[in-house]
Amino acid sequence: MSLLEVKGLRRDYGKLRAVDDVTFSLEAGGILGFIGPNGAGKSTTLRILATLDVPTAGEVLLEGRSLVDAPDKARPLLGYMPDRYGTYDDVTVREFLDFFARAYGLKGAQRRQRVDSVMEFTGLGPLAEKLTTELSKGMRQRVALGRTLLHDPRLLLLDEPADGLDPRARIELRELLRALADQGKAVIISSHILTELAEICDSCVIIEQGRLLAQGRVEDLLRASGDASQVTELVVRLAAGAEGESMGARAERMLLEQPRVKDVTREGSALRVRLELEPGAGPMQAEAAAAVLLAALVAQGLPVCAFSPRERNLEDAFMTVTKGRVA
Amino acid sequence: MSTQASPASGASESVPVTAAGASDRWERWGDRLNPLVVKEVRQGLRTRVFWVCFSLLLLACLVLSLIAYANTQGASYSREGRTYFFAFFVCLGVVHFGVIPFNAYRSLAREREDETWVLLLLTGLGPRRILRGKVASFLVQAALYASAVGPFLLFSYFLNGIDLPTILVALLLGGAWLVFLTLASVCAATLADGRMGRAFVRFALVGVLAVTFFQALTLIYVMTQRGGNGFTFDRSFFLGVCAGLGMMLTDGWLLFEASVARLSLMTEDYSRHPRRALVVQALLAFAAVVAVSWYLDFDNDVAEIAGVFGTLHLIGTGLFTVSDVDGQSRPLRAGTRPWSLFKPGALRGFRLTVLLLLGWALGCSVLLSMSDETQGWTRMGMAFTALALYGVLYLSLALLLGRMPRSDRFASPVAVRLLFVAVTALASGLPPLVAVFLRLDESGSELLNLLNPLVGTVNFGRYNYSEPYGTHLPPELLLCVALVALLAAFAADRVLAEREQRAHAS
Repeated sequence: MSLLEVKGLRRDYGKLRAVDDVTFSLEAGGILGFIGPNGAGKSTTLRILATLDVPTAGEVLLEGRSLVDAPDKARPLLGYMPDRYGTYDDVTVREFLDFFARAYGLKGAQRRQRVDSVMEFTGLGPLAEKLTTELSKGMRQRVALGRTLLHDPRLLLLDEPADGLDPRARIELRELLRALADQGKAVIISSHILTELAEICDSCVIIEQGRLLAQGRVEDLLRASGDASQVTELVVRLAAGAEGESMGARAERMLLEQPRVKDVTREGSALRVRLELEPGAGPMQAEAAAAVLLAALVAQGLPVCAFSPRERNLEDAFMTVTKGRVA
Repeated sequence: MSTQASPASGASESVPVTAAGASDRWERWGDRLNPLVVKEVRQGLRTRVFWVCFSLLLLACLVLSLIAYANTQGASYSREGRTYFFAFFVCLGVVHFGVIPFNAYRSLAREREDETWVLLLLTGLGPRRILRGKVASFLVQAALYASAVGPFLLFSYFLNGIDLPTILVALLLGGAWLVFLTLASVCAATLADGRMGRAFVRFALVGVLAVTFFQALTLIYVMTQRGGNGFTFDRSFFLGVCAGLGMMLTDGWLLFEASVARLSLMTEDYSRHPRRALVVQALLAFAAVVAVSWYLDFDNDVAEIAGVFGTLHLIGTGLFTVSDVDGQSRPLRAGTRPWSLFKPGALRGFRLTVLLLLGWALGCSVLLSMSDETQGWTRMGMAFTALALYGVLYLSLALLLGRMPRSDRFASPVAVRLLFVAVTALASGLPPLVAVFLRLDESGSELLNLLNPLVGTVNFGRYNYSEPYGTHLPPELLLCVALVALLAAFAADRVLAEREQRAHAS
């Protein structure tokens, strides 16, 4: 049985349908990325999962129990981190965590132990006596994550956790989340920083205008979007030499004359070539088209030293999936 | 983070499980406290506002006491106590009736603005405990301020000119007023969601606090000047103090429950407590009115005042009750019967309000009928029955205008309240202008103002029983008003029932 099951979730605000028939599930220990542009319905869905909002229709089951019908029973199992950090002025990191530990009903030694344990896990120990307002964004975000973990929830709901963080803080966050998943916690992360999600998540849900467009494992989504796309990209690198500049221009001209080539961009000594395939064309056709192109380049005597398809990423998958699907 | 696998499980072992006696007791005691009290007091004592206010308060009291000492040093017998008591009270009043309520408002408003409120709700504390903690923490801060002024207030007693009962009554009223203002400020913080709304509420609150500050001080001044020489039992004074305390107590409770309801999540039975508080308040108030009326040999002034002010109060509270959202969340529907009037939803709120308004008017009319003055009771009974019916009529009209159209543009709670204000203002202002424009005579003007909530109430109150065919509105016309009000109420009830069905079906 999945830890979380979302079935036909719908949320209307007057005439606006913010979430429309969203269905997905998540196993314990899994990290699910919730991808969508601003206003796609990510935060609304997360708020419903966090029991802060009620769906117009649909069902959410957490450990097999309805979260809509019995929100009080679900809350101890949930850790929700909104897109705003939600810290207080004039309160130190330890006091902040201690306050929330009290609020969660932890008492005496158990509370101290829990606060210490969370501070150690999130690396906040050395900052325990610092005021939360004096912390950097990355550290405040850690405090917020620490607060989410105080009551040892089974499901973590993180709304745009990497937003505004520097690269180092993002890497650290990624490691923390991976460690949490390894402990058996299910994590849902909503974000629009797709490269970030690809590295953290096991699976993804793509949502736009409230509707679920695609879902599944990240690799499957990449493969599927590659299959569905009519455009494939190649990177052609020419050997650097005295004639490098003119060779590049010659290669660009020659490539643009080829029937399937849609666009050529020069990036230093490399050329990025976009090929347009027939609707429904698969990887075989893409490879055949690439082979024709390579043969033409070689036939022209151009010194090709590298010729490879460009790796598709989550951003490509997202663009492919969302383009024109929702009216 | 799992407890078993947590990297900190080793760290926890280093924490001594049983600390030494005294600190352990303190900790156990701290554990029993509301977490909000611990946090807010800790946070409050770190703010510059607290220490600046505390120091200024202390300094002002010191300067005043030095002046008092200098003034009274040479005199063999001084009667300056009341003056200095009032001066010390003003110092305390600035903090208690201004700084504390405003800080309570700001604290909760910020909590909502920063969405930390949501995080608190998810901990399972619940809005009631959170608000209780918030209010308690500000009262603790108020007590700290009072501890600075307390000795000076006592010092004023030794300056003569003011007796202990007067001091105690002033402090009692001041304390009750502080609690009421803090509750009202907390409630104000729950009113607005948008930035504009919040700015308006803040502006209004500052205005209200400023006005009530001077009113409270005027009352205390009059009290100390009149009763300072020796506390004498004055019937009207005693009744006034009791009525004031009763209103602060019950209205404070109502405001607290309303705040809790506004901060509750949709899935909770948020309306039960405030509606119950409203009903209990109405019943208690009626019992008090009956008791006072009986104590004053059924003097019809009591029933008249209670009739008018009680109805106005019920219309005001009803405005919030009837403008609740349509329907209720799924978990609550199963246990809701058509007449479960305390359960959420505009439909049940509307029915409760209509019942309370008509019940109050009926109760006060019966009470008035027990007085000796037959003409007086008919006239005033008609007046506040008309007022209650106008209340029902215009609340229904606001609901019909806001919620009858398919479009939800004016269906929100705030829109319904604004519609009520607009419709009532139009109905009060337009007919007299039309009457002037058409140059109607007095009887024509009165007929035109039959549905005017202001002029109509006054006209019914002026009915002369000894001259039944005179110009003022007779009881028959009250039946017309009742018919119109009940028709509007029926239509509003049906509209709300249909909207509730629609909300539950979707």
